[in-house]
Parts: sequence; C-alpha cells; structure tokens
Amino acid sequence: MTINPNDAGADEAERSLRLGRVRAAMTAAGLDALLAFAPAWRRENVRYFTDARVAGAASFVLLTATGAEDVRAFSTNQADLDAIISRGWVTDAHPLSARSASSLTQALLQARPARLGIAHYELLPDLLMGQLVEALPRTEIVSATGLMDDVRLVKSDWEIARMRRAASVVEAGWAAFVDVLKPGLPEHAIVAAVEAAIKGRGAEDNFMLIASGGDDVRGMTAPTPRVLQPGDMVRTELTPQLDGYWLQICRSAVVGPASDAQRRSFDLFNEAVEAGIAAVHPGVTAHEVARAQNDVFRARGLGQYCTSQYTRVRGHGHGLHIDETPIIEGNETELPENAVFIIHPNTYTPIAGYHVLGDPVRVTRDGAEVLISTERKLFEGAAR
Amino acid sequence: MKRGLVLFDPAEIPAGEWRGRVAAVQRELAASGTDVALIYGDVSRSDDIAYLTNLCVYWNEGILAVPAHGDPVFLTKLSPRVHPWMRLTSTVTEIRSGRSFAELVATFLGPADGGTVGLIEAELWPAAVSAEIRQALAGRAVRPLGALVRALRQVPSAAEIALLTRAAAALADTAADAAAPELSASERVAVAERGLRGDGFLDVLADAARTGDGVASVQITAQYRYLWLHASRVAAAAVTAAWPDPLRQALADAVAAAAPGATAADLDRAARPALDRLPAGATSDVRWVHHADMATNGEYADYPSERPIPAGSVVVVGIDVRFGDGTHAAVADTVLAAADGPVCLTGQRGTGGAGGQIR
Repeated sequence: MTINPNDAGADEAERSLRLGRVRAAMTAAGLDALLAFAPAWRRENVRYFTDARVAGAASFVLLTATGAEDVRAFSTNQADLDAIISRGWVTDAHPLSARSASSLTQALLQARPARLGIAHYELLPDLLMGQLVEALPRTEIVSATGLMDDVRLVKSDWEIARMRRAASVVEAGWAAFVDVLKPGLPEHAIVAAVEAAIKGRGAEDNFMLIASGGDDVRGMTAPTPRVLQPGDMVRTELTPQLDGYWLQICRSAVVGPASDAQRRSFDLFNEAVEAGIAAVHPGVTAHEVARAQNDVFRARGLGQYCTSQYTRVRGHGHGLHIDETPIIEGNETELPENAVFIIHPNTYTPIAGYHVLGDPVRVTRDGAEVLISTERKLFEGAAR
Repeated sequence: MKRGLVLFDPAEIPAGEWRGRVAAVQRELAASGTDVALIYGDVSRSDDIAYLTNLCVYWNEGILAVPAHGDPVFLTKLSPRVHPWMRLTSTVTEIRSGRSFAELVATFLGPADGGTVGLIEAELWPAAVSAEIRQALAGRAVRPLGALVRALRQVPSAAEIALLTRAAAALADTAADAAAPELSASERVAVAERGLRGDGFLDVLADAARTGDGVASVQITAQYRYLWLHASRVAAAAVTAAWPDPLRQALADAVAAAAPGATAADLDRAARPALDRLPAGATSDVRWVHHADMATNGEYADYPSERPIPAGSVVVVGIDVRFGDGTHAAVADTVLAAADGPVCLTGQRGTGGAGGQIR
C-alpha cells in the first residue's frame, strides 16, 4: 500500500496503531503506565510516541495502559517542546528540569501506577531515578526497554514509506562517498563530503564508520587523518537518519583499479550477502540469517573470521534506532513480515583485509525486499 | 554524532599536561581517602574521560578507572577489536572489554580488600549501572565523589585556549557561510557539516530555524578534539525585518558584559536596551553556559541566575528570542572570560576554515 507519511489521516491512523500496540503490550506485561525515557543517544522511543525530532539531554513520554487517551511529553529542551507540540501526536508537553523534575513527578502522581515500566530504564540517571522513586514510593518500577524493542520490531506501512524515503538519502550518501575518493584525501574529508551531501537532502543525523588501507585493515573506526593511497580499499557503513528512520548501506570502494584479491574478496562477501537474503522469509530467526552468511565462509575454510575475534554481527535491525535486533548466530528472535534489518557479513579475511558489504532488507510475504537500489559491486574511485 | 576526526597529537597538549590532569585527580583521591575513582561516559557525554585521556567514546558506554596510584584503565562494552585504535588516539595503555560493567569493575579491582571506590558525578550515572557496580563491590565502600573532573575543566589551560581559539576561528567562518542569504534550512546544515568536518571537528550539531516573518537563523554546536564551542547567527537579510540588527547588537552587548564574575542577570541587563527594540510580544532569554557543559547544552548542570562566570573560563553567551507566533531565533558566541575582559572567540571570521584540518 502506498502511504503518504505527510497525510493527516494516515498520521492519525499511525498514531492510533502505535498506541494500540503499546497498550496491548503493557497489558500483557501488567504495566499500569509506561514512561519512555530518551537520553541524548537513545531517543527512539520518545520519537515513536511523538514523531518529533528531539535534541534535548533528557526527554520523556508518559502514557497509561487504560482510560484516558492522554499522552504527555516532557523535555529539558524548549525547542523539543516546540517540535513535539507542533507535530501534535501528544496531548501536552511540559518543560522539565533535570534537577527538579516536578512536572514529570506530578504527572506520575496523577497516574498513580502500581507498576510502571520505563523504556531505557537502564540508562536513566540516578538524579532522575531518585526523584521518580521518591514520588512513587509504593510503585513497582521495572524496565520496559524490551517491551518497546518488540513493539518497534515490525514496521507499519507508514514506517516502510518513510524508510523508502531514507533509502534515497542513503544512495546519495554513497554516491558522494565514491565521488570524492582520490589519492591524498584524508579520511575525515570523505566524511565531510558525505555529511554535506546527506544533510543537504534533509538527513537529521548519520552513523558512519570508515577504514582505508590494504589487507592489514582489521576493522572500522571514526575517521583518522590517514590520507588515501592508490590501491587502497576504503570501507564504510553509512547510516543516515531521515524523518526519524535510520537506514544503512555497507560498501567498499577501491582508489583506482581493484586488485584480483580485492575482487575475490568482493565475490566472497557478495555470495554471503546473497545467502543471507535468500534465507529471509516471514518468521526466519536472526540466527538463521546469520548462519546462512557464515556458512559461505565456513565452506571455504574461513569460518574463524566469523567469530568475535574478527567481527561483531552479521547485520542488525533498523528503524528509529540504528542498531536494533542483532543478526547473530544464537539469537532466536523471529523476524516477522515487515521487520527491517541490514544483512552485512562484514569481517576481516586475509584475502583483502576487512571487507564491508551489505544491504538493508524488509521481510516480505515471499522473501526479502532490498530497500536500496545502489548496485552491489566493488566500486572503483579516481586513481589520481 | 561523533563521526569526525579523532586525533591525538602530543604537539597540541604536551604529555606533561596529560599526566598533570590525572595527577590532579589522584591528589583529590588521596585527600578524600579514595582508592579508585570511576568515571562513566557514553557517546553523548564523555568529556571527563576525554579530558583525562583523549579517549573518544564514539559509541556505546565506557568507564574510566583512575586509581590513586598508577595509570587509568578504560573499561568498555566496545569490542577488543577497537583497542589498537583507542590506544593510538589516547593516553590510555590498558583497555578491557566486557559485556557487564559490574564484572569489568570487579575484575579490575580484584578481591575485596575493604577499600573505597568513588563514583565521579554519581548522580549522572545510569542508576542501574551504579546499582550493579555497588552490588558487585560488596565489601568495599562505594561513595559519590562529586564533579571533581568537571571542576578541573572549568578553566582551560593555555594549550586548550590555543585549540579553542583556532577552532573558534573556523567556526566563525563556517557560521558566517551557513548564515548566507537564500539557503534552505538543510543547506545551512550541510554548509556547517562540510566546513567543520573538513576542518577536523569531531562532532557537529547544527540546526536552522525560520521566524514567521521569514528570517532564518542557524545554530551550530561543534566539538573540536574534546572541546566544545557554539555559535548562532541570524541569517543575512533575505527579507526586510527590523529586529535582526537589534538582536545582533544585544548579543554584542551581552558578550561585552561577559567578564569574570558577571552573572546571567548582568548579561541580561547589558542586552536589555537593544532587546527592548524587538517586536511587541517577543520574549527573550539571555544566558551563559560553560563550554564544559555544552555536551548537554547545560541541561544537566545547575545555573542559578546569581552564578558568576569563572575567571579564565570559556563560555557560550546566547540569546533566544521567542516571537508572538511561536517561532524563534537565536544568536550566540563563544567567549573567553579573560582577566582583562571578555574575548569573543567566534565573533569574527578568522584564519581557520581553509578547507583542511586546522593545524
């Protein structure tokens, strides 16, 4: 179904859908109220309830399991309140002082929950937790982080439409990456060019790691001052965020013509990506998607390079957070229709060093839909 | 997000200064009878850790353990695969990775010996992390230590002033470029990203706003190495509006008043004559935030109106204006509160921003 994410009717339907999902999960978990906490680096749950871009050090959304439809927001940042109110997904929004969170504690006192779930309970600072506990001495306070992770796992058509829009920014970011490559360019200048390209297209944020060099490269980091040399393979995972939704591309490019080893490395990783894609069907587990990729390496005697000594995951979920369900062997999380995740067998091998390749996919009724149109190949940048 | 250049350059901050920072913490530990200080940081707020080590917590969380005697050790949930890079870009030689901070801390400290562990700025630690560490360290005294590293960061050293000054010059250039007329909001942010990331900034948080009468403003918070700066500008006139010039004048007057000992009330008093020329119904907020608090825009710090600007500190002086229609604009500069008067570091186009790393 084609959804226009800016359509007011679709917005209201999406908002209702979310509240319904969350309240059903709250009922199942025995929660009377849910408090979504957004520290500066984990804002996905507040975004889920507000559809507003927040930038403050601490923001919250409070809703109860039953009764009033009230959904209340709080933030330490006035601009957040403007954005939240302007979007109109919550009933009201209130300023919050981290040192005297009376606006929040008063709202909690009105709700009088016997059992309160806090999403990102694990990250709530002592300063704020202490005020909540003091205000609610008889309330059982538990983590609702997993509850919200589960709710967000399956994307609605409205969300898929947004992720498709994010795909166009992903593709532009990768194009800018390849365009700028040339010998003598420092890694951080590549990042500057990519950031300008994606921000100019409306990206709100970006998560990006990079590595350049030869077959000695073991992993990616933030950029260094290292300057590109002819023959370098430059690897990146590039993850712009548009309208709240993160979407990742993983690619490697060579400065100048690729070597035979670099091509063989690409062929291996491409086969692993294709194996991962082929494994996807509704209800597939993260374990099965990871195993399909790792089996390609094992079949060539390279299984050791699928271990934590050389790599982290074979992909991960996407959505309002960059790094949702990990695609690793042993994770039996089922991936239903409309779960979105990237398949990336990124790791080191002796063939050409750390190689990065992967595509974000949506689980469909029939298999996997790749959400980006960027060709999966070993790109070659300018040689001089 | 921290995806810009991470660089450890001994020429910028001498080895002796890095050692002196750790030694200053260790003197405080000795004075308070504390065996080990633990400092928590995450990707959004880890400046205490960076101040002591130059470590960049580019993702996830970490704890720096500073023993009363010996070198700091970094405990992190990040993979051991990034240890070589972290050693290359910091003063830390020992890094330990694990899935649980409780296990990492307990293993680092060894069998309980009745010692005392201090949590730096304990109130800002995630309560759950603090609780798991207290549980894991049963047999030891675990107590809050206050903001002793942040206190050390209040007055920048000469080396830090030099870094801040050259970064400010680049920020001034980029802010001016981003405030050019006829740019869209996303183009202003793109200009900020291209300019500052290209100049070697680690983090860039840029945003643009537009008032009801069509005047744009751009706000840029940026991190160079581990130091924060900010500049906000009202865009050059693409439309005719009478209030931007008085607002710019108000900022200039507030900056001129940002001498050591000045309070937010003093800055407001200085800016008020110009702010009185804003349109009817407009409200304004004149504030200062210490650069050491800019990772959270001062939202976790305590800024009572009577708090004076510390002598020798670098602060952000800003004015936010809210108009009757609910739209807003902002102007701000980064200022050195020098003993002989305020120096506006981001006030004018400087010599930075030449398109390369500013070195």
